[in-house]
Amino acid sequence: MTHGNLQAFDPTRDLLLERQFDAPPEVVWRACTEPDRVKQWIAPAPWVTVECEIDLRPGGMFRFLMKSPDGSEESANLTCYLEVVKEQTLVWTNALAPGYRPVGSIEHVPLITAIFSFEPSGTGTKYVARVVHKDEHDRKQHEEMGFYEGWGTCLDQLVAVTKTM
Amino acid sequence: MQPLDSRPATPEHLDATFAALADPTRRAILTRLAEGSATVMELAAPFPLSQPTISKHLKVLERAGLISRGRDAQRRPCILNATRLVVAEHWLSQQRTLWETRINQLESYLNSLKEQPL
Repeated sequence: MTHGNLQAFDPTRDLLLERQFDAPPEVVWRACTEPDRVKQWIAPAPWVTVECEIDLRPGGMFRFLMKSPDGSEESANLTCYLEVVKEQTLVWTNALAPGYRPVGSIEHVPLITAIFSFEPSGTGTKYVARVVHKDEHDRKQHEEMGFYEGWGTCLDQLVAVTKTM
Repeated sequence: MQPLDSRPATPEHLDATFAALADPTRRAILTRLAEGSATVMELAAPFPLSQPTISKHLKVLERAGLISRGRDAQRRPCILNATRLVVAEHWLSQQRTLWETRINQLESYLNSLKEQPL
């Protein structure tokens, strides 16, 4: 895996999901990179994906349009591939339009980068998805880690406390 | 700079909340304020940081709508505003649900392929 330059996972802003699939990496890869196959699963039911366009290369377009069951609402998603390593790594972001053109912002939609890895695992695939939210430039380095150990727990506790307020 | 108001979560609100949370000092400040309001001096006490540095952190938290500064000019106690934090945590768990749903659906689709392999 080519993820040496990834920042440490931040549970307050990032998602990390893993799944073991029975299908081998080449099958999972096709399900994730062929438009007619992507349309089968990417819209959370009962929404459906009515359009999907893929130009599978760094800088290429990954676009999908989802609609509500009665067709009155839709969600248009335009993203740019950053990394494409066949049957291994797939990365795209909505912070850039195809051709790496910065978007600045998207109305009602947070900017994310989605990072997927496909690893052979027995006869199947270990599928790992990371979704990262944008950072600010003035983020500081963690210096006195001893003091801040368990901040994740603090945050959980903090939210639990706020729910009782 | 005016703090963001508390209307339903916009991307800007979420961005500001997550940026505010992205720093360990600010997270520690929020943890302390969850126990009750405190003055700038009380908040600065546990850290090897100058008061102006702590004040900069408090400004970030205030602009993100995560804390309010009391009106008492002498003491200006800081108070936690839980709403914004709960909104950010809610957004994150909504995102998690969305992606888990997608992966569940991917798994169902892959299982359906077993009947007729690619």
